[in-house]
Amino acid sequence: MDDALARMMELRDDPFQWARGWKERTGSKVLGFFCGYVPEEIIHAAGALPVRITGDNRVTSKSGAHLQSYCCSLARTSLDMALTGDLDFLDGTVFVHTCDTMQRLSDIWRLNACFPFHVDLVLPVRFEGEAALEYMRLELANFRKKVEENIGPVTDAALSESIKLYNRNRELLAELYELRREDPGIMSSDQALWLVASSALIEKSEHNVLLEEVLEGLGGSSGQSDGKVRLFAAGSVMDQYDFLKMVEEVGGTIVDDDFCTGHRYFDAQVPEDGDPIEGIARRLADRGSCPCKYLPSRDRAGRLLDRIEKSGARGAIFFQFKFCDPHSFDYPYIKKALDEAGIPSLHLEIEHDSVSVEQLRTRVEALLEIVRGN
Amino acid sequence: MPVTGVDIGSLTAKAVILDGGKIIGKSLVMTGHNSRVAGRKALDLALLDAGVEEGGLERIIVTGYGRHSADFSSENITEITCHARGARATHPEARTVIDLGGQDSKAIAIDENGRVVDFVMNDKCAAGTGRFLEVMAGALEVELDDLGGISLRSESPAPVSSTCTVFAESEVVSRVAEGVSKVDIIAGIHQAIASRIYAMSVRIPVNERIIITGGVARNIGVVRALEKRFETEIIVPEMPQHIGALGAALIAAERTGSEN
Repeated sequence: MDDALARMMELRDDPFQWARGWKERTGSKVLGFFCGYVPEEIIHAAGALPVRITGDNRVTSKSGAHLQSYCCSLARTSLDMALTGDLDFLDGTVFVHTCDTMQRLSDIWRLNACFPFHVDLVLPVRFEGEAALEYMRLELANFRKKVEENIGPVTDAALSESIKLYNRNRELLAELYELRREDPGIMSSDQALWLVASSALIEKSEHNVLLEEVLEGLGGSSGQSDGKVRLFAAGSVMDQYDFLKMVEEVGGTIVDDDFCTGHRYFDAQVPEDGDPIEGIARRLADRGSCPCKYLPSRDRAGRLLDRIEKSGARGAIFFQFKFCDPHSFDYPYIKKALDEAGIPSLHLEIEHDSVSVEQLRTRVEALLEIVRGN
Repeated sequence: MPVTGVDIGSLTAKAVILDGGKIIGKSLVMTGHNSRVAGRKALDLALLDAGVEEGGLERIIVTGYGRHSADFSSENITEITCHARGARATHPEARTVIDLGGQDSKAIAIDENGRVVDFVMNDKCAAGTGRFLEVMAGALEVELDDLGGISLRSESPAPVSSTCTVFAESEVVSRVAEGVSKVDIIAGIHQAIASRIYAMSVRIPVNERIIITGGVARNIGVVRALEKRFETEIIVPEMPQHIGALGAALIAAERTGSEN
C-alpha cells in the first residue's frame, strides 16, 4: 500500500484524532455535523473545521434515557458519544432537518449535550422551483450570519476560496470513483469509502493534498479485484468497514454507491462565478438527492439504474440502519425498478450497537451466488 | 463416482451421498457446540450408511451455518442456494421454499430451474425457528415431537401475540395460569409462528407451489397453520431436514458432471 493511503487508513481507527490534533495546533474551532446538506464551505470560510459525526459501534450507556427505542442507531450512538464526553473537543453542532429523528435529536442535543454553538438549518423538502431556491438562499445567508456571530467573519473572498477547495476535493473524489469503475482492483471498497468519509473529518486543503498523493500513487491494478463481482450499494451513512471488508472477502466489490458518506457527498459542484451563497444552494439542489428531499422531476430509481449500468454492477446492496424511515420509504419503489431491470439485490438492516457481520455474510454470499447464476 | 453434500446447521448436521443421481447414504447428527466435529461425524455416518470410503468421493460441498468450519470441503455454498436446488429436485413444481431451521427462518423464491431469484431471512429473531419451538415445548412440558399432533386437536387456539421467544414464553406462562388448555396454547403458538413467517415471506414474490424444509417441517401443526395463512396447500418433502444437504450434493454432482 502506498504511503498516503496507508497514512489515511491509520486514521480510521480513531476518526476524530485528526480534528483534535488540528484544534490543538491551531486553536481554532471545530463544529460537528450530521448531514451532507450542511454547507461546510461557510464553516470552513470562518476558519473552523467541520467534522461529520456518523455514530459509533458501541453499546450505549447514556443516550437510552433520552431517545425512544425506534430511533436509529446513528442518533442513539452519536448522542451517547456526546453525553459520555467523547465529543468534548467540539465547539458546536449543526443540524439539518432531514428526518424526524434528526429534528428531535437536535432539541435533545441542545438541551443535554450543551455545546456553546448550536444551529438548526431548515432546508426546503422540495428542492425544485425558484421559491425553493430563494428560500434556500435566505436560510443559508442566515446560517452564514450565525456562523459569523459565533465563530468568525465569513468574507466573500474567504468563501470563494473555500468553495474552490471543496470543489477540488469533490473533483478528486469523483476521479477516484471513475478510476475504480475502470479497475476496482486499485483499492478495496472499504478503502475507497473511507477516503470519502475522511474528507468530512480532515481540513479540506490537507485532505486534497493527501488525495492527490493517493491518486498519484495508484500505480495500477493490484489485481485484488480479479474475478470479483461488481456491486452497487445504497443507503445513508456507510461507516461499517468490517462489513465492506467482508463483502470483499466473499468475492464482491462495491464499484459505485449512493451513500451520503459516499457518492452523494461529492456529487455536483458549486459554481465558482456569481453569488457564493446562491452557488451553494444550487449545488445542494443539484446533487444526488437523499430520500428526505423531494425533486418532482427527478426519478431517483432511474438515476440509480443508470449508475448501476455505468459501473457494470451486477447486483445491489441496500444497506440501511434499522428504523430509518426515509430510506425504508424509498426502498420498495427502487427495489421494484431493480427487479424489473433484472438486477438482483439484497436489503440489509443493521445497527451500530449490535453489528454482526457474520450474520450478514450468508446473505451477501447468497446474493453473489444469485448473480453468478447459482 | 459418488458426491456428497453436508449441511451443518445450528442444531443438526446432515449429510447426503449421491451416486448416479441416487441417494446411497445419509445421516443426521446433533451439532452441539462444535460444528467442525459435527460435520465430520455427519460425513462419517453417511459414508458408513453408503458403504463407501471417503477417498471414493469425488466432491464434497458443505453448506449451512457451520460450513466455514468444515476441513473436508471441496467448496462452500450457502444454504439458500442449496435448499433451492434440493427442493427443485424432490418437487420440481415448487417456486417458493420456506426453510425453518434451528436458528434461521428463510423464504426463497426460485425459478423453474431451481435457481434462487430472491430471498429473505429472519433478522436476530428466533421466532418461527426450531429453537423457538424447543423453548415453548419446555415451558409446556411437552415433547418437541408431540407439539404438532397435539395442536391439531384444538378447536379454539389461544391468541399468542408476541413473536419474540422471550416474551412469547412469558405470555404462554400467563395463558397456563389462566387455565387455558395446552392444546389451545400450542395451536396458538403455531398460529403466531405462521403469521410471523407469512409477514417475512411476502417481502419476496411468493408463488405456488410452496415447499417447506428444515426441522420445523416435521411439526404438522406449524405446516397446517402456514397453509391457513398462505391459503394454499404446502408440500412437505419426505426428508425435510436433508433438503439442504441434498441440494449441496446435487450441485457437487453438477460441478463434476457425474449427474445421471
